[in-house]
Amino acid sequence: MSTLRRKVLAAGLAAGWLAAGASTAFAQRIEIQWWHAMGGVLGERTEEVAKKFNESQQKYTVVATNKGNYDEVINSAIAAYRAKRPPHIVQIYERGFMTMLLSDAIVPVQDLVSERGHKVDWSDFVKPIAGFYSYKGKLMSMPFNSSTPIHWYNKEHFEKAGFQKPAETWQELEKQLYAIKSKGIAECGASLAGDYFWSLIENYSAINDQPFATKSNGFDGLDTEFVYNKTSVVGQLTRLKKWLDDGVLQIAGQGFNPEMLYTSGKCSTFVASTAAHGSVERNAKIPWSATYLPWEQGNTPRNSTIGGATLWVLKGHKNDDYDGVAAFMNFLASPELQVWWHKVTGYVPATNKAYELAKQEGYYASNPTREIAVLQLSRGTPTGNSLGFRFGNFTQTTFALREEVEAVMAGKKSPQQGLDDSVRRGNEILRQFEKLNAGKY
Amino acid sequence: MTPTEPGLKRANFGRSRLPAALLLPQLLILLLFFFIPSLRALFQSFLLADPFGNNVHFIWLDNFSALLARPEYRESIRTTVIFTLAQNVITLLAAMVLAFATDHVLRGKSLYKSIVILPYAIAPVIAGVLWAFLFNPAVGPLAFVLKGLGIRWDPNLNGDHAMILVILASSWKHICYDYIFLVAAILALPPSLLEAAAVDGAGPILRFVRIGLPLMGPTIFFLLVMNFVYGLFETFAVIDAVTRGGPAGATNILVYKVYQDGFVNLDLGSSAAQSVLLMAFALVLTMLQFRYIERNVNYDL
Repeated sequence: MSTLRRKVLAAGLAAGWLAAGASTAFAQRIEIQWWHAMGGVLGERTEEVAKKFNESQQKYTVVATNKGNYDEVINSAIAAYRAKRPPHIVQIYERGFMTMLLSDAIVPVQDLVSERGHKVDWSDFVKPIAGFYSYKGKLMSMPFNSSTPIHWYNKEHFEKAGFQKPAETWQELEKQLYAIKSKGIAECGASLAGDYFWSLIENYSAINDQPFATKSNGFDGLDTEFVYNKTSVVGQLTRLKKWLDDGVLQIAGQGFNPEMLYTSGKCSTFVASTAAHGSVERNAKIPWSATYLPWEQGNTPRNSTIGGATLWVLKGHKNDDYDGVAAFMNFLASPELQVWWHKVTGYVPATNKAYELAKQEGYYASNPTREIAVLQLSRGTPTGNSLGFRFGNFTQTTFALREEVEAVMAGKKSPQQGLDDSVRRGNEILRQFEKLNAGKY
Repeated sequence: MTPTEPGLKRANFGRSRLPAALLLPQLLILLLFFFIPSLRALFQSFLLADPFGNNVHFIWLDNFSALLARPEYRESIRTTVIFTLAQNVITLLAAMVLAFATDHVLRGKSLYKSIVILPYAIAPVIAGVLWAFLFNPAVGPLAFVLKGLGIRWDPNLNGDHAMILVILASSWKHICYDYIFLVAAILALPPSLLEAAAVDGAGPILRFVRIGLPLMGPTIFFLLVMNFVYGLFETFAVIDAVTRGGPAGATNILVYKVYQDGFVNLDLGSSAAQSVLLMAFALVLTMLQFRYIERNVNYDL
């Protein structure tokens, strides 16, 4: 037993020496740690991004490490920062923007990249993306995976019911979905995505130019207050509840993926992220297509808003390391990489140049649904209601909203009551953030 | 065994260093993984802080008063009481029936035992996902059976259904633990008493209820305490996989709320205050159990 232990120990030591030797052999390359939340196929693509960068130059090695889902990544980054061993770059979801911005733990990306002599055309970033992640006109973090919800539908179901495609307005769409259900063409009209709070409430509010909160949805101050209980969001929730009661809208629930209700042909439509392209293309056994999200009758639709995540640079590293970080960010902003990422993942290109490049290549002629998200995001000029959302503790306010909407769906509260309670809870959370960060924004 | 027997005399250890050394590893583990984190949680519960810890305000008891003022928190306490009580009773009763039956299984006794113990080997998350799938109203086979029986089963919308589901799932996961202890307790019952009762004409069930149960008092009391600890602290993974605390907070028990508010919502102060309160509840509960239930437990065999 003890000889075996000694052998194992010796082998371990030898491996250690080898590893140490290997790292000294590449001592001239500086390692940049990048923690991300991309799993599965997206994770492989993310590793490819790092590999492409590492092969493009000799000085830096970007090491991409998956640290679990978005929640786990932000928690790992916080723990590492508190232990004074932070990664250089960390991928944080869109809802974490204010937490990161006011954390005193980050290096603003645009300043970093510009100071280190890289020429990035910052004005070329797609408006709702730049708007979401900029503070005082400068990008604070590097847009990485940006998406927006689109309206997926089953072509066959609509044709059978005598419609060309889903209608443009919620009012007309409702008639279509009820017709599809009553004619027995599909079991349900729509499958409810897990992130409906984003696609069917926040984006609904933006597209219909409704204020979600005061102070331009929080952009103009920490003293913002939610007001979505006084807008047509109430009507939207009333409509969804009615659909649910009539079996037109279906919840997949725990233990099952809502996307499967759509791709299996059970439900005719599905409002979900454009980033679902990868899995829909792979799994759908139906003639699928997609179009723009609907809007209220009589309204001029505005742009939709984004979801996804950006790459934040953390403080606490050597000056030379940040040269590498800046070089990597510059690499990420290049149209070629943007187009490649757009094609292999379904996320939208972050810059107009990348979009033009994909268009010139004829990519959208063969993949028309991939263009919907881009066109929807850049539709018109963003207003104070549609540029995005800037709330502190945004994850927490969203959690309160979801809980109250669930109470409405369960029939425990009326839509108005649920949204009133959600706004009350959300405002308490906003005040707490304001108290913590008074004078910092 | 009485304390006057030589094996337990203090003098036999010579000096007190050996027992201290033997206790040390466990004490270190307790210190590192229990006392230090608990103290830090206590400290954190008085703070309003950003998650990165760069911006910290001392706010006295504001986290606690804010919590107790919130209807969601009071609702979570109510949910926890229902959940742990139901889980405790179901687990203990089911394990009791299974343990009682062990003696009366004639063929394949070891197979029977293995099957009963099996759930213990399944990771809680996997168990939770399985339960969620089996009872999913859209695709779950057992949900279809329920619907066939005319029940409008929908744990995604109906809070009571969701509660029943997590109670069953977490009880199922814990029955084997109680079962092992109860089987051992039954084996330790003195045969002479049971045989005497049998001679007097008592059947197996009467013998179990009148003689077995009172003699198993210490084991049952121990399991009662352990089941509460399990229900209060260790059911997190099952809840996370089966309902995520929903719908509308219907299964959001205190320990899951600690996780939600701390880990997902990054509200560390409130989360710490909740864990302090949760620890206080558990302490009070255990003390009450020792005070009122243990009185009726007889340790003399």
